[in-house]
Amino acid sequence: MSTTVIRDQPGRTGTTGARPGAVGFLTDTTLCIGCKACEVACKQWNQLPMDEFGFTGYSYDNTGDLSATTWRHVAFIERISDSEGRRPTTMRAFQSNWLMMSDVCKHCVNAGCMEACPTGAIIRTEFDTVVVQQDVCNGCGYCVPACPFGVIALDLGDGRARVGDHKAHKCTLCYDRLRDGLEPACAKACPTDSIQFGLVEDLMDRAKQRVADLRAQGVEEAHIYGDRAVGGTGGIEGLNAFFILTAPPEVYNLPAQPELPQRKTIPASVSTALAAVAFAVGAILSLRRK
Amino acid sequence: MPGLGARLGRGGATTTLQSLADSDCIVIMGSNMAENHPVGFRFVVRAKTRGATVIHVDPRFSRTSALADLYVPLRAGSDLAVLGGLINYVINSERWNTDPFFKEYVTHYTNAPVIINPAYQGPEDLGGLFSGYIPEERRYETDTWQYAGQDERPAASEDKAQTAEPRPEYIGNLTAPPRLDPTLQDPNCVFQIVKRHYARYTPEMVERIAGIPQDVFIRLAETILANSGRDRTTAFCYAVAWTQHTNGTQIIGACALLQLLLGNIGRPGGGILALRGHATIQGSTDIPTLYNLLPGYLPMPMATALERDENLEAYLRRNRPMTGAWYNTPAYLISLLKAWYGDAATPENDFCYDLVPKINGDASFQAMIPMMKDGIIKGLFVMGMNPAVGGQNAILAREGLANLDWLVVRDVHEIETAAFWWDAPEVREGKVRPQDIKTEVFFLPAALPGEKEGSFTNTQRLVQWHDKAIDPPDDVRSEVWFVYHLGRRLKELYQGDDTPKGRQIAALTWEYPTEGPHDEPVVEAIVREINGYTVADGRLLPDFSALRDDGSTACGCWIYSGIMPEEGRNRAKDRRGDERAALEWGYSWPRNVRLLYNRASADPQGRPWSERKKWVWWDEKEGRWTGFDTPDFPVTKPPDYVPPPGAVGLDAHPGDAPFVNMADGRGWLFAASGLRDGPLPTHYEPWETPVGNALYPEHPRSPAANLLERPDNRYHEIGDPRFPYVITTYRLTEHHTAGGMTRFVPWLAELQPHGFVEISPELAGELGINNGDWVVISTLRGETESRALVTERLQPLVIDGKKIHQVGMPWHFGYSGIAKGGIANDLSALVEDPNSRIHEAKAFTCNLRKGRLTHSTDEEGRG
Amino acid sequence: MAYERRWETRRRGGRSAGDEARESYYGVPVIHRAPWRWEIPTYFFLGGIAGASYVIAGIAHVFGGDEERPVVRAGRYLSLAALIPSPILLILDLGRPERFHHMLRVFKVRSPMSVGTWGLVVFGAFSTLSALIQAAEDGLFGRGTLVARLLLRLPSRAIAFLGQFPAFFVSGYTGVLLAATAVPLWTRNYLLMGPLFLASALSNALAAITLILTVAGRTSHRSLRRLERFETVVMGVEALLLAALRLNSGKTIARPMHEGRLGRIYRVGVLGTGLGLPLLVQAPGAWLGRRLPRGVTVLAALLTLIGGALFRYLIVTAGHRSADDPQATFELTRARENGSRRS
Repeated sequence: MSTTVIRDQPGRTGTTGARPGAVGFLTDTTLCIGCKACEVACKQWNQLPMDEFGFTGYSYDNTGDLSATTWRHVAFIERISDSEGRRPTTMRAFQSNWLMMSDVCKHCVNAGCMEACPTGAIIRTEFDTVVVQQDVCNGCGYCVPACPFGVIALDLGDGRARVGDHKAHKCTLCYDRLRDGLEPACAKACPTDSIQFGLVEDLMDRAKQRVADLRAQGVEEAHIYGDRAVGGTGGIEGLNAFFILTAPPEVYNLPAQPELPQRKTIPASVSTALAAVAFAVGAILSLRRK
Repeated sequence: MPGLGARLGRGGATTTLQSLADSDCIVIMGSNMAENHPVGFRFVVRAKTRGATVIHVDPRFSRTSALADLYVPLRAGSDLAVLGGLINYVINSERWNTDPFFKEYVTHYTNAPVIINPAYQGPEDLGGLFSGYIPEERRYETDTWQYAGQDERPAASEDKAQTAEPRPEYIGNLTAPPRLDPTLQDPNCVFQIVKRHYARYTPEMVERIAGIPQDVFIRLAETILANSGRDRTTAFCYAVAWTQHTNGTQIIGACALLQLLLGNIGRPGGGILALRGHATIQGSTDIPTLYNLLPGYLPMPMATALERDENLEAYLRRNRPMTGAWYNTPAYLISLLKAWYGDAATPENDFCYDLVPKINGDASFQAMIPMMKDGIIKGLFVMGMNPAVGGQNAILAREGLANLDWLVVRDVHEIETAAFWWDAPEVREGKVRPQDIKTEVFFLPAALPGEKEGSFTNTQRLVQWHDKAIDPPDDVRSEVWFVYHLGRRLKELYQGDDTPKGRQIAALTWEYPTEGPHDEPVVEAIVREINGYTVADGRLLPDFSALRDDGSTACGCWIYSGIMPEEGRNRAKDRRGDERAALEWGYSWPRNVRLLYNRASADPQGRPWSERKKWVWWDEKEGRWTGFDTPDFPVTKPPDYVPPPGAVGLDAHPGDAPFVNMADGRGWLFAASGLRDGPLPTHYEPWETPVGNALYPEHPRSPAANLLERPDNRYHEIGDPRFPYVITTYRLTEHHTAGGMTRFVPWLAELQPHGFVEISPELAGELGINNGDWVVISTLRGETESRALVTERLQPLVIDGKKIHQVGMPWHFGYSGIAKGGIANDLSALVEDPNSRIHEAKAFTCNLRKGRLTHSTDEEGRG
Repeated sequence: MAYERRWETRRRGGRSAGDEARESYYGVPVIHRAPWRWEIPTYFFLGGIAGASYVIAGIAHVFGGDEERPVVRAGRYLSLAALIPSPILLILDLGRPERFHHMLRVFKVRSPMSVGTWGLVVFGAFSTLSALIQAAEDGLFGRGTLVARLLLRLPSRAIAFLGQFPAFFVSGYTGVLLAATAVPLWTRNYLLMGPLFLASALSNALAAITLILTVAGRTSHRSLRRLERFETVVMGVEALLLAALRLNSGKTIARPMHEGRLGRIYRVGVLGTGLGLPLLVQAPGAWLGRRLPRGVTVLAALLTLIGGALFRYLIVTAGHRSADDPQATFELTRARENGSRRS
């Protein structure tokens, strides 16, 4: 893949703009065994329908990506052979050669979907998570392209028997469970603690330590995805659900340096206003009384 | 089970999942642990975070391999050559010969110093056979395998073929203490025999047979060696990828042998973890659904020409050793008979021994399939099984189902076995018409685990209780309800019937309290019976030491005795964990021992081998064994105890004999009895193999493998050019066994929605197959179609200079449910390991071509 | 959209599963495209005309002489006529149309759609009012009736002037709305989107007014020429902006505008039919004073309108395509070695 390798910026690694008391996920891909228990636990707890896309041949991923009805998705990337086509025997510490990563809504510190939402359906909760209020959403769909991570989506049904509710859906970080003092279903189900739930600041400390440990064991590429250096960039200010990756983000279908789309609103408005003035002048010049 | 049982005394896993976290090295071989035991794998991950090395030896790079430090690819079916190579490497290594720990462990705790009958000859002498082989009968006479200096064994004259039927827990019977050579130099001592036996299992030979490059093999061996010893332990994890071979028992035995040599048995972070394939498959052998065992691994009485257990005395004569824990067999058996037959069981009538069914031949599941087709078996209950998909040679299995008078399927979905008469491929293709199938099929809805209470016995012998969350809906009932009420009605039916069959049923005790609107039996009442009680006043027994052979106690399964030691206390419900043995979490047989043979975690003098690896040790002041775990040893027997002459039972074992179930208290490197196909594990090729046997060209395949060849179950010859590829079948995380519980569940079905075969890009290139294409896989048993998942996780290996392709196929899929696909077992053959009667599905041969079946019945991808 | 997620319809088998994930994650989009259907580009087209024709009518009213009265009149009517379907289209496109009023629960400055909704409401008032005034002036409410007198008494020039703000807003905010997303084609060109949409709205409105006036045939030639002249300027600017968009996008992100059916629509429909031909036809008349046959003027105006509609369709659809292309998103969000970002 023609992507540049992520380099941490000194002093910025692991920094996040998360608000005090925010909760989130640390998804440590190096511990992931690709069992998809998170996908199933999520669907079961949230009573999401199956998608049934059929056999893909995309390694063991038959889900493809996150959607209105899939809020956890495990990606599988086979990088078995080395550059000369040799199969591995000795491997790096922890997950290697067959990468698996459980993707989820990032619950951005500044969330594109939430800023885009014209109805106020998407809110920030008392847990600092981003949630769609289903009784408010009117399915305008503007949040969908406003998510830099391809998370939120409208449920338009499966194109066959199932009719969707045409509203926007995504991970709620199990808001209902949090209210009852339970951890989210996916984290609860994860057998290897690849998915950890907790206070973002604690998780971030843990992640930094883990990355340091991994690098000490020779996994030089290990890095945090979702701080202000990588992933949570461009005004997003960090992700409340962040990841430890061992390959460039693009390998996992993640944008390396995404941006909060609404950062463009003001400059785009200014340029439009200037153009409007210019066109107004043009129109006046053209139509003025002679 | 006999793999471990014949060498260590018990068939169960010697260690626990939790103990893996204390390992310094974990070798996962014959198992895809991360995929099939993901919850248990958390302890592997924990060990890894503590710095342990994880090794995966497997034909396929799987999700387990992705988390391993060392991935060692091998040809499916070559495991024993690799283990033999490790044994040879270890014995001749510098570390093993210089660190006194190994010799001390091996001389004291194993039968390495024992002198064997000088008449013994092994495959090195006989070109691949052991002495005593009877070619016409494909079996061995085992006299020459015995310890030297034994008197004629009791009943030996009529017991020439004591291994004619599997005796998993048959652990020898000594009439005199074994003769020893503690220097291990005597040419007839076990150690020297083992050394000679494996001398040719060199790294070069391993490479020729298994395709493992020598440097990789040496790294594997050195890693294991470096992580074994006084202060370090290595654990082995295996699963059905070791058992499902014609020499599966011997593969596991080779692992036991290796772990004994390395001093890893009975110690924290060591041992052998037999990973079971189902939630309570351990439980279903402890209180067995197997045809050849009674509860608690008591052998089933025999009624064959060679072996007759015609009465209680004969049974005990053949099955009760005078030394070791099995000396108490009479108490276990008679207590079982009291539990089964109650007041009807009296000393005068041999405690109704005559009512216990006797077996007259192979009645394993594999053997049942042709018997159904041939009309010998007329009716079949299928509960928690799906033979139309899961049975070997599933085409033959479905033909068998179609020739029954009646079939009862109890399941949570209409699985293939219930739907075979209208939905099977042969029916859809029009080869078989439903109206021509005479089988009357009864499909009964079964309750899910949350809809009933009961226990699971997990992979580490740990019994854990689960409560009922909700009542099952409608007509759905639990198994226990079904079996109880079926038995109750049968008893009513046979009341007063004086035929042997009638008496067998009528005499059974079958009084369990019931509750609720559907008269659901109270499961804890059954636990009570399993635990055991005194017949006179119904007091619960504290453990099996309280069992008596005079009929005063009743016990449903002696090894579980202690699970309910007093009224109202069901120890399977205990839920107090800790970071050590967690003795108050659930109940582990026997006597809540977590690490089996844990006497071996202390040195012969009773001191921990090292501070880091202490587990159970001798407390001199208190005069008893103590530690983190329940001692698996007579608790007050001092380490320096020497048995007086004539002692019996455990008193006949010295104070440094950790393997209490063995006749001599030692772990058996050399299994003098208990196995049908040889006292030492030997590399034989799978029954279907593309290559010959580089070690024993004259006897390339197991001489004692149980063959069921017939026109509808034909085998491929060695190197058959029509079937050039090695195929192995396996499971995925997303589905469970034959799919009855998962392929019908939308959330699971969508994750692996269709069957596939995994092939390497090299083979795909040769055959012009792209990722996702349809392929047809064929054997002499049948052919099936599937999608190709072309992946570098599979690789061709160079075997003896020849490039061998391997194909992998999950066997979950079938024609019912949401997730469907070609049935892998339509390809496999019925051929068995002679000890365990387990089939060979992990290595056989096949052909593969691009395309689809002419009569494809798979709609996926059509239109 | 959902059915497209059945991979069966998308797959092209590679040599191996590993190979298929080499360049991107099996070609699976990184982000989700907007779920909008035909209603949205149609609204962009009509809403643009509504806003821009109000702009032209207003400027002609405030700054132009009596000669421009037909322009004002046509612009005022056209504005309302193009506006009326707009909310209907927007509501139709909602997943839950019955909840359209939820848009009016909040006012969010950062959400172009929220601001746009309110802008549309405000503009709706001006557009309606101006059209009513025009109707009163045209005597459609009778002479001397209360309604007519009330309407005629309103400060129509002041209204027209004030209305310029929402009118310009409605003409251009849709470009900002698209720019403030993660869609590579839109957001990469965030400074160009608003101006481009404005230009397109103006040229379309000018063409529409020209068309109406030419067909009605009651306008002075001079007035028409002024419109045409301005139109050619706007179209020239539009062409320049499109060129800038193409340059700024880079090869990967602009790919959907050049490949396949969309590429043909872009070249033949937008550039050729919508901009090139009308410019070629109108420029000589507008600047050199050569008088064109009526039929040619009508044709040029029609071509401009078709081009405008195609442009809206193209920019939305090409945006979808760029959202579907993982390489486009990777290109957009590529990590910089030194951490600085292209902005």
